Amino acid sequence: MQFKYMISRTSLVLVVGLWIIMSCGDQDRRIDYNAHVKPILNKHCIACHGGVKQNGGFGLLTREQALAITESDRPAIVPGNGRASQMIQRLTSDDPELRMPLDAEPLSEEDIKILENWIDQGANWDLHWAYKPVEKVEPPSPPELLGAVGADDLQKHPIDLFVIDKLRDDLDIHTQSPEADKVTLLRRVSLDLIGIPAPAGIAERFLGDDSHNAYERLIDDLLARPEYGERWTSMWLDIARYADSKGFERDPHRDIWHYRDWVIKAFNQDMPYDQFLTEQLAGDLLADPSDEQLIATAFHRNTSTNDEGGSDNEEYRTYAILDRVNTTWEGILGTTFACVQCHSHPYDPFLQEDYYKFFAFFNNSRDADTAPDYPLLRHFKGEDSTKLSEFISWAGDRMSDEKVSELERFIKTWQPAYHSIEVDSFVRSDLYDTKYLGYRQNGSVRLKQVNLSDKEVLYFRYRTKLSNGIWQWYSLKTGDLVASTTLPSTDDKWKITSIPLTAYFNGKHDLVLTYSNPNLKDPDARGVSFDWFRFDEDLQILNEDRSKEKEFWNLMHLKTETTPIMIENPEEMKRETRVFDRGNWLVEKEAVRPGIPEILPPLSDTVAPNRMILAKWITTEKNPLTSRTMVNRIWAQIFGRGLVETLEDLGSHSPRPSHPELLDWLAYQFMHQHGWHLKSYLKKILMSATYKQQSVANDELLKKDPFNIYLSRGARVRLTAEQMRDQALTVSGLLCSDMYGPSIMPYQPIQWDVPYSRERWEVSEGDQQHRRSVYIYWKRTIPYPAMMIFDAAARDVCEARRIQTNTPLHALVTLNDPVYVEAAAHLAKKMYRQGESTTERITEGYKIVLGTPIPLEKSAAFLALFEKAKMSFEHGESDPKELLSFLPEENDQDLAALVVVANAMLNMDEFITKS
Amino acid sequence: MKSLDLVSEAKLQEAILNSRRAFMKDSAFGVGALALGQLLTGCTSPPTKGVPQSINRLAGDLPMFPGKAKRIIYMHMAGGPSHLELFDYKPALEKLDGQECPPSLLEGKRFAFIRGVPKMLGPLGRFKKHGESGALVSHFLPHFADVVDDVTIIKSAFTDQFNHAPAQLLMQTGSAQLGRPSMGSWVTYGLGSENEDLPGFMVLTSGGNNPDGGKAMWGSGFLPSVYQGVHCRSEGDPVLFLSNPKGMSRSLRKASIDAINAVNRESHQHFQDPEILTRIKQYEMAYRMQIEVPGVLSIDEEPPYIHDLYGSNPNTSSFANNVLLARKMVENGVRFVQLYDWGWDAHGTNADSSLDRGFADKCASIDRPIAALLKDLKQRGLLDETLVVWSGEFGRTPMQENRNGVDLPFKGRDHHPYAFTMWMAGGGMKKGFTFGETDEIGYYPIRDKVSVYDIQATILHQLGFDHEKFTFPFQGRDFRLTDVEGHVVKDVLA
Repeated sequence: MQFKYMISRTSLVLVVGLWIIMSCGDQDRRIDYNAHVKPILNKHCIACHGGVKQNGGFGLLTREQALAITESDRPAIVPGNGRASQMIQRLTSDDPELRMPLDAEPLSEEDIKILENWIDQGANWDLHWAYKPVEKVEPPSPPELLGAVGADDLQKHPIDLFVIDKLRDDLDIHTQSPEADKVTLLRRVSLDLIGIPAPAGIAERFLGDDSHNAYERLIDDLLARPEYGERWTSMWLDIARYADSKGFERDPHRDIWHYRDWVIKAFNQDMPYDQFLTEQLAGDLLADPSDEQLIATAFHRNTSTNDEGGSDNEEYRTYAILDRVNTTWEGILGTTFACVQCHSHPYDPFLQEDYYKFFAFFNNSRDADTAPDYPLLRHFKGEDSTKLSEFISWAGDRMSDEKVSELERFIKTWQPAYHSIEVDSFVRSDLYDTKYLGYRQNGSVRLKQVNLSDKEVLYFRYRTKLSNGIWQWYSLKTGDLVASTTLPSTDDKWKITSIPLTAYFNGKHDLVLTYSNPNLKDPDARGVSFDWFRFDEDLQILNEDRSKEKEFWNLMHLKTETTPIMIENPEEMKRETRVFDRGNWLVEKEAVRPGIPEILPPLSDTVAPNRMILAKWITTEKNPLTSRTMVNRIWAQIFGRGLVETLEDLGSHSPRPSHPELLDWLAYQFMHQHGWHLKSYLKKILMSATYKQQSVANDELLKKDPFNIYLSRGARVRLTAEQMRDQALTVSGLLCSDMYGPSIMPYQPIQWDVPYSRERWEVSEGDQQHRRSVYIYWKRTIPYPAMMIFDAAARDVCEARRIQTNTPLHALVTLNDPVYVEAAAHLAKKMYRQGESTTERITEGYKIVLGTPIPLEKSAAFLALFEKAKMSFEHGESDPKELLSFLPEENDQDLAALVVVANAMLNMDEFITKS
Repeated sequence: MKSLDLVSEAKLQEAILNSRRAFMKDSAFGVGALALGQLLTGCTSPPTKGVPQSINRLAGDLPMFPGKAKRIIYMHMAGGPSHLELFDYKPALEKLDGQECPPSLLEGKRFAFIRGVPKMLGPLGRFKKHGESGALVSHFLPHFADVVDDVTIIKSAFTDQFNHAPAQLLMQTGSAQLGRPSMGSWVTYGLGSENEDLPGFMVLTSGGNNPDGGKAMWGSGFLPSVYQGVHCRSEGDPVLFLSNPKGMSRSLRKASIDAINAVNRESHQHFQDPEILTRIKQYEMAYRMQIEVPGVLSIDEEPPYIHDLYGSNPNTSSFANNVLLARKMVENGVRFVQLYDWGWDAHGTNADSSLDRGFADKCASIDRPIAALLKDLKQRGLLDETLVVWSGEFGRTPMQENRNGVDLPFKGRDHHPYAFTMWMAGGGMKKGFTFGETDEIGYYPIRDKVSVYDIQATILHQLGFDHEKFTFPFQGRDFRLTDVEGHVVKDVLA
């Protein structure tokens, strides 16, 4: 124990060590690459000698690079001899044309000394901490072990031991702040776990329970509430860049709310984080995936797409893949990776090729910037679901398991199929509005590299007003007619049908698809449109039972709710991935296979790596980034800032963790002790004295720990945009607890004025507009304004961290937004009912919003406001009737004045802050 | 340590300053905390250069070097006005009118809507030389022709985006993709506002629609959200949630803010959280905005001769009204005023989007107010330090659009990224100057090409920023408006 205690003081040793090096030039002191050298290189050298540029042929990204021969024909670093190393010579040169860094201040003598000593000691590289495995860490011993031991100390929570250790070592503070009172804890824990004040029953039970485990029971009660999932989903939707719209141009509607509901359910079921990630990244590749597991894959279908006329579908398909790479790294692996698209990482050991190896994992999903957002999961509900399972079970008796699950997938997704936008070589034909293939008279197009082996029929979806269209498929290789049909009119409605192939064909063919129609009078008018094509074996079982055949087509055409999902390309549709020259998708370089950067643990399967192998790699306990990223994110949710502040980047440019050992302890516990379960992990954090501290500062704490980085007191954090609105709805009694379903539209003053779009913001009816903020309709280009003003993420791209601001626009929202004014009116009504006198009513109101008795001074301030409101009515300046417009049945002036008071209460700092 | 540390450090500084002002706190507290704050940033900290003094900084700050321009009015004609009708006169194109487009202009090109072989379309504008500078302007802009001697016209601008939303985003944020801070956010981040009762970056829209790029066009990206543009609306509150609830008088609102602040001061006594002091200040500012903004954002009180000059009318909403508002805003210290006028996408698919009808009407609607703006700024002595920019997001094709291969009944042109014309005036630009040249049909620039990044670099330069050094650290990288490109177009500077 004594020994471990010393180790936990490493940072102190290093600081002292550094001091010794600086002052005495003691050459025997070990230089630590990460602590001493890397910061100097990152600050002064890496811009010209890093991942982006290697001026003079010298780079410092890896040891291999740094020791290589430079343009001056010799290495710049000679391990073991700093003085003989050109790097040191150039840093100390008197010649301004030679002295590094060029055109900048020279390095300090101390910095140069560190670099020289480091080279003397062998110029050893070390992996940045975040890329090292998460090892088991023992918490520091209780400080009292060095002296007297009290019973309390032996039971200290490990988190507290880490925190106290650091407080004492770095700040000479020996005690944490005292525990907050029960009412404060109740509000804090409720906001943290369920995002709103606790339901009355739970609150009363906790406040009336004097037993030693009352607090623990409170946590258990809240973790079991359905609101828990809603609160934590808000956090995850920023990572998933979830929105109800497609992003580009008109930013049209997208149905993807089933995914949001899946996240809520996953949190409420306490799904382990490794499974949570696996299902989102690769649920479609699980054996026999359930609908829920397919819905989970909508995680990476939240990418923005572009339906604008003339937009290049491949460009936006590529955009979506890039976004998936960036989101996976930033949101799940806590690493800024987007810059590697164009060049090797400026200061972390990731090469440009690594980016495209990673890109390759995502480059074989079937989606392709189609207007309908294919592939879609078609949701069969109720009777339809019964019909589907009956049909599948009938088919299951007649087909192999593999074939029947292919059939089920086809019915549920119409996949895998070629999207009509994948054709090229247009002659008298076009992708009309860049969305669907359309033909004019005697038009043709080409579809490349279609595997016809074992294929007997062609399924396709089309629409036309005309009958008698002659549609024919030829093989360019052999000239054979592959398929031919006369298309009946569909009355301009989409219809799916199938035709037999003319013969058996082998191998891959480039096919040409021609169209002509004697009924098409205007040769330049569009005769027919196509959506998708699919070649398949014949479903012979349908021939034996015509009623089943009818049922099949009925199921194929049923109108259902849909959700965009991931489906992997079958072997014959696989895409090759190539490195983009300087990140430009139009200029391709060498081909790459799916892979991960070398410095990280290897994949479990390098023979056939796919998204499932990637998911396994991300969720293996050996992955150093996944657990650290998540525990850091959770910490930031609870304490207002991460142990590493940059939640999006744990790389070598990130600030050093405030508590490195604690971070690793948490990551290890999360995986090994809690089995990736969030609920028990959260409980563990919330049970610590560190969490329970009161959030009162004083001059000493403000001086020593101004930003509370050392956790010398409880956190004080402004509520998130969601918590803010949800809390106001809760205390006013307006909150509607309905869960799930299509997104809702509360009142907002902005109507959408989107070019070429008829979509409108229609305020939801009845109490639907009072549902929790996680359900608010999110249009990417015109997000709900009150949320944006309170720093919500725009959801265009993954946003791993919301940066909090404090601006006058916030005040305008909570003062004047009708959502808050309505809440104030209803709060006022509760106050009015619950008290006899104005003073009583104000006391009641304060109790409702903060749960605690009102201090005299505040009561006086609100009472004075009440009187001013009454006077304002008397003088005819303010109009009580209008102030009661949200309570049309009321007309009491006292109530109107209380609305003014309640409006002020909802603006108290203590109300909009978690203390 | 990086951005937020510095940001929260700045927040602390701001709060400490407030606490000193408000409560005459012991100055040792402030100094002590500051010193420690600097210590905490540790050895990995980048230099604090370019970091805001305060996250709520709305008081002006010094640029990198004295800029010629102190503020900017940027008028973006969303949809892409035709350079061939307005400024870039091409007699050769006139001769080719009605002939089939030569294949060399079509090979390897992508168009938004043109398919097959379109026909060439001669200019519909009648051109004349104007002013002492002899600048060519067509009959579509008769009033503008009067002020050409105050303007630098750039005829060789180009972009690499041929759809509206990405091209607009590129123009305003330096990236065709979503998520980057807009130019206005960068500028207010760098310069702050001159008037602490008003937002530093305001956006006005006209033409019946928002620009295609949506709110991202004035978003703050990774910059703190305080720098995002405030979209002023012509109906309802000019700034969202500016009006008090129905029935609440201004003095009652004042009383309620007083009560809130009194209660919050009590909370501060207890918690000692500097953030509470910032909040108190923000509530005071919110109240001042409620009083100031409606006046600045109203043209009701402007004298009749001004309305005559601009063609503005308080009872309607129009581009003319917005131009007049823009003048009032810069006069009141708003740093960056962005005007979007929608409806310039003259494809010729109907009368409204045809060059001889809808487009001509659009020109008429902007011509007088823009000329009025330049004259008015000049007579108020504001033009020299106000940079006025006019552009679209791309130009139009020399070919007539044949949507989906079919000839259209109206005259229109498709999107054309390879060349377009824009102009700048005031703020240290040359006067009566024309820069750059396109080929004989206005297809490609043949001299002095100016990229979107060059335009941005030049604008930042006029405001006192070196676009290569004006950066914000995000995700471990120093980001800038011009990404990794852009050169200041020195030739257009006075």
